Amino acid sequence: MFLGRVAGTVWSTVKWPETRGLKLLLVRPYRLGDLAPGVVRAGAEASEATDDLVVCADTLDAGPGDDVLVAFGHAARVAVSEKLPPGTKPNVPIDAAVVAVVDRVEIDPEARG
Amino acid sequence: MIRGTVLGQVWAARRSRGLDGRKLVLVAARDADGAATGGVVVAVDTLDARTGEDVTVAFGSGARNVLRPGAENRDLLCDAAVAAIVEGAG
Repeated sequence: MFLGRVAGTVWSTVKWPETRGLKLLLVRPYRLGDLAPGVVRAGAEASEATDDLVVCADTLDAGPGDDVLVAFGHAARVAVSEKLPPGTKPNVPIDAAVVAVVDRVEIDPEARG
Repeated sequence: MIRGTVLGQVWAARRSRGLDGRKLVLVAARDADGAATGGVVVAVDTLDARTGEDVTVAFGSGARNVLRPGAENRDLLCDAAVAAIVEGAG
Protein backbone atom coordinates (compact mmCIF):
# COMPACT_ATOMS: atom_id res chain seq x y z
CA MET A 1 0.00 0.00 0.00
CA PHE A 2 1.03 3.61 -0.33
CA LEU A 3 -0.06 6.92 1.08
CA GLY A 4 -1.10 9.64 -1.34
CA ARG A 5 -3.25 12.67 -1.90
CA VAL A 6 -6.19 12.63 -4.29
CA ALA A 7 -5.34 15.02 -7.12
CA GLY A 8 -8.39 14.57 -9.33
CA THR A 9 -10.83 12.22 -10.95
CA VAL A 10 -10.95 10.27 -14.21
CA TRP A 11 -14.09 9.33 -16.05
CA SER A 12 -14.77 7.23 -19.11
CA THR A 13 -17.73 5.80 -20.97
CA VAL A 14 -16.11 3.01 -22.96
CA LYS A 15 -14.92 0.48 -20.38
CA TRP A 16 -15.10 -3.07 -19.13
CA PRO A 17 -18.74 -3.71 -18.04
CA GLU A 18 -17.73 -4.87 -14.54
CA THR A 19 -16.18 -1.49 -13.84
CA ARG A 20 -19.37 0.44 -14.53
CA GLY A 21 -20.34 2.60 -11.58
CA LEU A 22 -16.80 2.52 -10.21
CA LYS A 23 -15.30 5.93 -9.55
CA LEU A 24 -11.68 6.43 -10.62
CA LEU A 25 -9.35 8.83 -8.83
CA LEU A 26 -5.93 10.23 -9.62
CA VAL A 27 -3.65 9.88 -6.59
CA ARG A 28 -0.20 11.41 -6.14
CA PRO A 29 1.99 9.25 -3.87
CA TYR A 30 3.82 10.92 -1.00
CA ARG A 31 7.58 10.67 -0.88
CA LEU A 32 9.61 10.60 2.31
CA GLY A 33 10.52 14.27 1.94
CA ASP A 34 6.85 15.27 1.90
CA LEU A 35 6.04 13.41 5.09
CA ALA A 36 9.11 13.92 7.24
CA PRO A 37 11.20 16.76 5.85
CA GLY A 38 13.65 16.62 8.74
CA VAL A 39 14.26 12.89 8.45
CA VAL A 40 16.03 12.87 5.10
CA ARG A 41 19.61 14.08 5.09
CA ALA A 42 20.07 17.54 3.64
CA GLY A 43 20.54 17.35 -0.10
CA ALA A 44 19.45 13.72 -0.31
CA GLU A 45 16.38 14.14 -2.51
CA ALA A 46 14.76 15.85 0.46
CA SER A 47 11.77 17.36 -1.25
CA GLU A 48 11.77 15.41 -4.48
CA ALA A 49 8.20 15.86 -5.64
CA THR A 50 6.83 13.08 -7.77
CA ASP A 51 4.53 13.74 -10.67
CA ASP A 52 3.69 10.09 -11.16
CA LEU A 53 -0.04 9.77 -10.69
CA VAL A 54 -1.76 6.48 -10.00
CA VAL A 55 -5.31 5.82 -11.20
CA CYS A 56 -7.26 4.07 -8.44
CA ALA A 57 -10.75 2.67 -8.08
CA ASP A 58 -12.60 4.32 -5.21
CA THR A 59 -15.25 2.62 -3.08
CA LEU A 60 -14.97 4.95 -0.05
CA ASP A 61 -16.17 8.14 -1.71
CA ALA A 62 -12.85 9.97 -1.36
CA GLY A 63 -12.43 13.28 -3.15
CA PRO A 64 -9.75 15.71 -4.28
CA GLY A 65 -7.59 16.88 -1.37
CA ASP A 66 -8.18 13.74 0.73
CA ASP A 67 -5.21 11.71 1.96
CA VAL A 68 -5.79 8.06 1.12
CA LEU A 69 -4.24 4.63 1.33
CA VAL A 70 -4.04 2.77 -1.97
CA ALA A 71 -3.63 -1.00 -2.28
CA PHE A 72 -2.28 -2.72 -5.37
CA GLY A 73 -2.91 -6.03 -7.09
CA HIS A 74 -5.22 -8.66 -5.69
CA ALA A 75 -5.83 -6.61 -2.53
CA ALA A 76 -7.31 -3.86 -4.72
CA ARG A 77 -9.73 -6.33 -6.32
CA VAL A 78 -10.70 -7.65 -2.87
CA ALA A 79 -11.52 -4.07 -1.81
CA VAL A 80 -13.64 -3.50 -4.92
CA SER A 81 -15.43 -6.83 -4.47
CA GLU A 82 -16.69 -5.67 -1.05
CA LYS A 83 -19.16 -3.61 -3.05
CA LEU A 84 -20.26 -6.59 -5.18
CA PRO A 85 -22.88 -9.20 -4.18
CA PRO A 86 -21.49 -11.76 -1.66
CA GLY A 87 -19.65 -14.63 -3.27
CA THR A 88 -18.85 -12.67 -6.40
CA LYS A 89 -15.27 -13.15 -7.48
CA PRO A 90 -13.33 -9.94 -7.97
CA ASN A 91 -12.74 -10.45 -11.68
CA VAL A 92 -12.46 -6.77 -12.46
CA PRO A 93 -9.67 -5.19 -14.49
CA ILE A 94 -8.48 -3.09 -11.55
CA ASP A 95 -5.04 -3.19 -9.95
CA ALA A 96 -5.18 -0.20 -7.59
CA ALA A 97 -7.92 0.86 -5.17
CA VAL A 98 -8.46 3.30 -2.32
CA VAL A 99 -8.74 1.16 0.84
CA ALA A 100 -8.78 3.90 3.51
CA VAL A 101 -9.31 7.62 3.90
CA VAL A 102 -6.51 8.74 6.22
CA ASP A 103 -7.35 10.83 9.30
CA ARG A 104 -3.90 11.18 10.78
CA VAL A 105 -0.30 10.06 10.21
CA GLU A 106 1.84 9.85 13.31
CA ILE A 107 5.52 10.27 12.51
CA ASP A 108 8.21 10.21 15.16
CA PRO A 109 10.77 12.88 14.28
CA GLU A 110 13.40 10.73 15.98
CA ALA A 111 12.84 7.81 13.59
CA ARG A 112 15.72 7.66 11.17
CA GLY A 113 14.63 7.59 7.55
CA MET B 1 10.58 -7.68 0.04
CA ILE B 2 12.15 -4.45 1.09
CA ARG B 3 13.99 -3.34 4.18
CA GLY B 4 12.98 -0.12 5.85
CA THR B 5 12.47 1.82 9.05
CA VAL B 6 9.12 2.28 10.77
CA LEU B 7 8.33 6.00 10.70
CA GLY B 8 5.03 5.84 12.54
CA GLN B 9 1.44 4.76 12.37
CA VAL B 10 -1.44 5.61 10.02
CA TRP B 11 -4.92 6.21 11.42
CA ALA B 12 -8.02 5.92 9.27
CA ALA B 13 -11.59 5.44 10.49
CA ARG B 14 -13.10 5.17 7.00
CA ARG B 15 -11.52 2.03 5.58
CA SER B 16 -12.37 -1.06 3.56
CA ARG B 17 -13.89 -3.89 5.61
CA GLY B 18 -10.88 -6.06 4.88
CA LEU B 19 -8.66 -3.64 6.80
CA ASP B 20 -10.83 -3.57 9.94
CA GLY B 21 -8.77 -4.03 13.08
CA ARG B 22 -5.44 -3.94 11.23
CA LYS B 23 -2.57 -1.82 12.52
CA LEU B 24 -0.99 0.13 9.66
CA VAL B 25 2.57 1.39 9.79
CA LEU B 26 4.46 3.79 7.57
CA VAL B 27 7.83 2.38 6.47
CA ALA B 28 10.63 4.37 4.83
CA ALA B 29 12.56 2.16 2.39
CA ARG B 30 16.34 1.84 2.63
CA ASP B 31 18.82 0.91 -0.08
CA ALA B 32 21.76 -1.51 0.10
CA ASP B 33 23.89 1.06 1.91
CA GLY B 34 21.20 1.69 4.49
CA ALA B 35 20.33 5.15 3.13
CA ALA B 36 16.73 6.24 2.73
CA THR B 37 15.58 5.86 -0.89
CA GLY B 38 12.79 8.41 -0.51
CA GLY B 39 10.13 5.76 -1.06
CA VAL B 40 7.51 5.17 1.59
CA VAL B 41 5.12 2.22 1.89
CA VAL B 42 2.27 1.44 4.26
CA ALA B 43 2.19 -2.11 5.63
CA VAL B 44 -0.11 -4.16 7.83
CA ASP B 45 1.73 -4.87 11.08
CA THR B 46 1.05 -8.01 13.10
CA LEU B 47 4.47 -8.12 14.78
CA ASP B 48 3.96 -5.00 16.88
CA ALA B 49 6.82 -3.14 15.20
CA ARG B 50 7.74 0.07 16.98
CA THR B 51 8.63 3.45 15.57
CA GLY B 52 12.31 3.60 14.68
CA GLU B 53 12.71 -0.18 14.30
CA ASP B 54 14.07 -1.68 11.09
CA VAL B 55 11.71 -4.17 9.45
CA THR B 56 11.27 -6.16 6.28
CA VAL B 57 8.05 -5.69 4.32
CA ALA B 58 6.66 -8.46 2.12
CA PHE B 59 4.38 -7.71 -0.82
CA GLY B 60 1.67 -9.54 -2.73
CA SER B 61 0.87 -13.13 -1.80
CA GLY B 62 3.90 -13.10 0.50
CA ALA B 63 2.15 -10.39 2.51
CA ARG B 64 -1.05 -12.46 2.75
CA ASN B 65 1.03 -15.40 4.00
CA VAL B 66 2.16 -13.25 6.93
CA LEU B 67 -1.47 -12.82 8.00
CA ARG B 68 -2.67 -16.35 7.24
CA PRO B 69 -0.26 -18.89 5.71
CA GLY B 70 -1.63 -21.23 3.07
CA ALA B 71 -3.43 -21.30 -0.24
CA GLU B 72 -6.82 -20.25 1.16
CA ASN B 73 -5.96 -16.66 1.90
CA ARG B 74 -7.03 -14.86 -1.25
CA ASP B 75 -9.98 -13.33 0.58
CA LEU B 76 -7.58 -11.18 2.64
CA LEU B 77 -7.16 -7.52 1.81
CA CYS B 78 -3.42 -7.12 2.19
CA ASP B 79 -0.70 -6.27 -0.33
CA ALA B 80 2.07 -5.33 2.11
CA ALA B 81 2.88 -6.67 5.58
CA VAL B 82 5.71 -6.42 8.09
CA ALA B 83 7.41 -9.81 7.76
CA ALA B 84 10.30 -9.44 10.23
CA ILE B 85 11.87 -7.08 12.73
CA VAL B 86 15.48 -6.61 11.59
CA GLU B 87 18.24 -6.84 14.18
CA GLY B 88 21.18 -6.43 11.88
CA ALA B 89 22.22 -6.20 8.24
CA GLY B 90 25.59 -6.01 6.60
